[in-house]
Amino acid sequence: MCKECGCGQTNGNTRLQFNAKGYTEESAKTVEKALLGLPGVLFVHIHAHDGETTIDYSPAKTKLMDILKIFSDHSVEAAL
Amino acid sequence: MEVQVMQDILGKNDRIAAENQALFADKKIFVLNLMGSPGSGKTTLLERTMAALKDELHMAVIEGDLFTTKDADRIAKYAVPVMQINTSGGCHLDAPMVQEVLSQLVLDRLDLLIVENVGNLVCPAEFNIGEDAKGVVLSITEGDDKPMKYPLVFKESSIVLLNKVDILPYTNFDMAAAREDIHTLHPDVKLVEVSCVQDTGLKDWYDWLRAKVRAKKG
Repeated sequence: MCKECGCGQTNGNTRLQFNAKGYTEESAKTVEKALLGLPGVLFVHIHAHDGETTIDYSPAKTKLMDILKIFSDHSVEAAL
Repeated sequence: MEVQVMQDILGKNDRIAAENQALFADKKIFVLNLMGSPGSGKTTLLERTMAALKDELHMAVIEGDLFTTKDADRIAKYAVPVMQINTSGGCHLDAPMVQEVLSQLVLDRLDLLIVENVGNLVCPAEFNIGEDAKGVVLSITEGDDKPMKYPLVFKESSIVLLNKVDILPYTNFDMAAAREDIHTLHPDVKLVEVSCVQDTGLKDWYDWLRAKVRAKKG
């Protein structure tokens, strides 16, 4: 849904919060960029120091498995 | 036994959008849903486009605005068929609105239909109207932070036009950062820097339209 004005139908966007291990300052930026490149991912915020990772995405456009694959491709262990 | 439908899976807008899309496919018309903020330069870009391509392509424009026919009046000067949709305060065009005006256009003669959506970086990206592609105009004056702040419109668009690059030296717009953010959000997007007053990049934009029209014609 267009949250700013409330028009339209709900689009089912959802927010996930992961606790992730294995980030470096550099890899956190790479993972953030890779996640944002997925079709349904609209927002990513990563705290590299404690692994807290917030992702807003549309499950209709990107599967959770696609997100998890980005973590594993960059040797990051992430849990919800 | 009566079967009750509890939920319209596609929703009314998506059903009408599918009908529009089927009609455009049948008529082989390439349809672009052009989005962007108020003042980003969408209408000026279309004026330049109409002037440049009207002898080459059969075009029509649907203008979306809350009120007035100001934009349609500007396009009409180029002797191109134009329809104005007034949403009476609505923040976006939807598929039923577009379907309603299609009967007033001679679709058999068209190669290209451009729908200029209501000026807004948020809502128009949420609603399909049956288009082949979405495009977004972002002007330098809006700031380089807009792609990450309004990601959906950049993810949904097949082409991003960075407009008003002629005034780049007089602003703090970081072109490299904007380009990187846009490509991060949408790695395959076509990105064109344009200035309608200096003719910068317009050929790339016209060539993109030509290629899309050719592809649709098959």
